[in-house]
Amino acid sequence: MRNDRPLLIASQNEETSRLATSLDAEFVSLPDLTRPEIFEAWRATTIEGDVRERVIVSVWPPPIEARDLAELDANAWAHRFEEPYLLWNFALGAATKLVADGGHVVALCQAPAALDAPGRTPELAIADGVLALVRSIAAAEGRRGVRANLVTTPLGLVEGDLVAPAPPLEGFPGTIEAHVVGAVRIFLSADAEGLTGRVLSADGGRAL
Amino acid sequence: MTKAIWNERKVIVVTGATGGVGRGIALACAEAGWSVWIAARREKEGQAVAAEVDALGGEGHFVACDVGVPGSAAEAIATILSQEKRLDGVVHNATSGLSPVPVSLAEVGLADFQDHVHVALGALHSLARASFGALKDSHGSLLLTTSEAGFEGKAKLSPYAGVKGAQRGFARALAREWGRDGVRVNSIAPLASTPAMERAFELDPAMADRVLARNPLRRLGDATEDIGRAARFLLSDDASYVTGHTLMVDGGSCPAV
Repeated sequence: MRNDRPLLIASQNEETSRLATSLDAEFVSLPDLTRPEIFEAWRATTIEGDVRERVIVSVWPPPIEARDLAELDANAWAHRFEEPYLLWNFALGAATKLVADGGHVVALCQAPAALDAPGRTPELAIADGVLALVRSIAAAEGRRGVRANLVTTPLGLVEGDLVAPAPPLEGFPGTIEAHVVGAVRIFLSADAEGLTGRVLSADGGRAL
Repeated sequence: MTKAIWNERKVIVVTGATGGVGRGIALACAEAGWSVWIAARREKEGQAVAAEVDALGGEGHFVACDVGVPGSAAEAIATILSQEKRLDGVVHNATSGLSPVPVSLAEVGLADFQDHVHVALGALHSLARASFGALKDSHGSLLLTTSEAGFEGKAKLSPYAGVKGAQRGFARALAREWGRDGVRVNSIAPLASTPAMERAFELDPAMADRVLARNPLRRLGDATEDIGRAARFLLSDDASYVTGHTLMVDGGSCPAV
């Protein structure tokens, strides 16, 4: 059965709740990211839902401070990189099953700009990995008219003084309503029918 | 005439060096007379490559390392440091045995995802942590073997593409973090004639035509002469001002760059 309401598959937090409200999306919560052993069962259950024209995916871990890689032991690495990255794989896999022919998948991923990357190696690794996954979906599902794109935001990853130069636009790192939702809407809209495998950095130009 | 800087002896370790690109990197470093440690699970094959390194004028060594096992990479680094007392370069080339196996992203199980992640990123994290102090002392470098898949994705190899993309992000971030200590972090994205590529062609017979049709040079790279020497450049002092970079060594194949 087909459902015209957007579906947001995401971690449950304030940012994603506001995203769901702004997009008038139905919310499907991701499983606890510290429990990879339940990810397969979650995916099997989730893909039994209605097929959708528009599916948005966002794995959004709880806030965590920047930390040099040398200070991250194996457990910290697993918590900061492996668990959220594995969940991204399952969430995007579910999205490919739930999106209708001719539909759209948009991933929203936290990503530090390169200038702000020290102490954020796990987070930038996740973001670049998600981009490759999104482009894989674009390549695999394009034959049935499905588009897949990525929006990145530095929200939740910025702390302390910024390395110069300052971002070109004021308001860095932005807000969900003012800066992120619009970028997601662009990809979901008919105006973006020719765009797939693309990434928009909703970061006020910080990545320039 | 000035002697090439890369001819000065360096100590390098290469994971996944019993064949393919890893072996090619090891042999290219041997051409420069470097000490090259073959970090691998299979001792017989690793010792054979170490002998090839010797034959080319380098110093070949084998060190046992199963990058899929937590702690193994760090133990290998400790073994090397105990004997050499220095380390100039770490190359993480090993990749999951599942890399060439076609799959749909929606159907991959947890164990398979974890295998990709543990070999590509878990071992990388372990290698980086274990070698950081030594690389800081030598002003050395970390080199990752990523792939064009990490740029453009792959329709039938999504888990592989994902971890290769993640390695690029890892390198981009760590280059900025380690730069203040004089340690460089780079990646290469090779397209080479290797046993893994041959296996991928077997599993997806149409792949060979797809791969070569878009390649301006119309050939796969040689693991030593084309790929290994490019890697050697990034490991050498000739690349002392290059960090955070991914060098495409793919005959101009990848259109996503």
